Amino acid sequence: MLKPGDPAPPFDLECALNDRIARCSLAKISTELVLIFFYPRDFSFVCPTEVTGFNNALKEFTAEDTAIAGVSIDNVDSHLRWARELGGIGYPLFADPDGSLARAYGVFDDAEKVALRATFILDRKRKVVFAVSCPLNVGRSVVETLRIVRALRTGQLCPADWKPGVEFGPSDREF
Amino acid sequence: MAAVADPAEKKQLFERLSSVREIVFGVQDGVLTTAGVLCGLSGAVSQHSQVALAALASTAAGALSMAAGAYLGGRAETEVLRAELELVRAEAAAKPYTVQEGLLDELCKEGLDREAGYRIVRLLSTAPKALESTAEAKMFGLGGSMLGTPAIDGVVMGIAFLVGALIPLLPYMLIKVPRYDLGGALGATALTLFSVGYFEGWLAHRRDRWRSGMRFLAIAMSAAAAGYLIGLAISPLGATAG
Repeated sequence: MLKPGDPAPPFDLECALNDRIARCSLAKISTELVLIFFYPRDFSFVCPTEVTGFNNALKEFTAEDTAIAGVSIDNVDSHLRWARELGGIGYPLFADPDGSLARAYGVFDDAEKVALRATFILDRKRKVVFAVSCPLNVGRSVVETLRIVRALRTGQLCPADWKPGVEFGPSDREF
Repeated sequence: MAAVADPAEKKQLFERLSSVREIVFGVQDGVLTTAGVLCGLSGAVSQHSQVALAALASTAAGALSMAAGAYLGGRAETEVLRAELELVRAEAAAKPYTVQEGLLDELCKEGLDREAGYRIVRLLSTAPKALESTAEAKMFGLGGSMLGTPAIDGVVMGIAFLVGALIPLLPYMLIKVPRYDLGGALGATALTLFSVGYFEGWLAHRRDRWRSGMRFLAIAMSAAAAGYLIGLAISPLGATAG
């Protein structure tokens, strides 16, 4: 699995976006941060809580100049039907049917043949600045992910449980 | 057009058929045990009345033992199954997502595509009872119908053993001519075991019911022959002790 500081593998994949099939690449995303979250499968019962959770918080991530990209091994038709099933998703769901992108990020589960529930945040230089993975049966916290994004954008040292409006941590020298 | 069997009637039939195991096991064991005792004692003891009395005692003890064994075994199985079902239900209540995912995986393994399976599980999830029973059956192979009726099983087993045991015993007690008494008992045993085998084949809708009957018969003859030979082998011990 990639770790902070690693360059993010580029990708250029089909995706479902705004109820249509499109093609999108990492290079074309111009936001300051890019949040890539891998999830195991479309049409499942844990994943939709995450997919819709990120969609519900899309405005807040956009306000933080952060693009969201969902990735699973399902094909793009499945993503399209899945997005419709969930009432529409405002960020791209990338199709990674052979798992090559998940493998490039080191989050492909060979036993289950799906991507792990992993989240990466990439900076402006498209280097990994945050990486975390969860067990397949435990969903991620959208609120926590948003907190991390906000903390990263401060460019400051943020203590544990830092939230916007809370004082920053010690200076570089004290840290 | 052929009439489709009424599911309710079919369910009742399946419930009745669950006693077949006890009936077949009980009758077979009763017949074989008693025939074996008669053969063995006939080889070792010369007095007809002593052999009949010993076989009668063996029948009474065997029927009670089999009934108690079936009841205790069935009760232990039911309790373990009930405990497992309760654990599964508690997990389903605490983690509905994992149950839904597990059921979805099982449906996909049985050939449904993921999207169709998802829709079925989602539909089932609107009725928690339906989700629960389907998940128990598909994920764990457990079901409420597996919780047996130990008391009934015990009674059925005891009666079946008794009926089976009386079949060789009655001819033996009624025919008091040496050799003919044992011949009558073995004849009745053979006929009964063949009938049980044939009946089992009929229940299973087999075409080769005769083969099923012959299999039972072969087992009976083997057991009887072995019992008689063992009796012959140990008869010198009886003479020494007397």
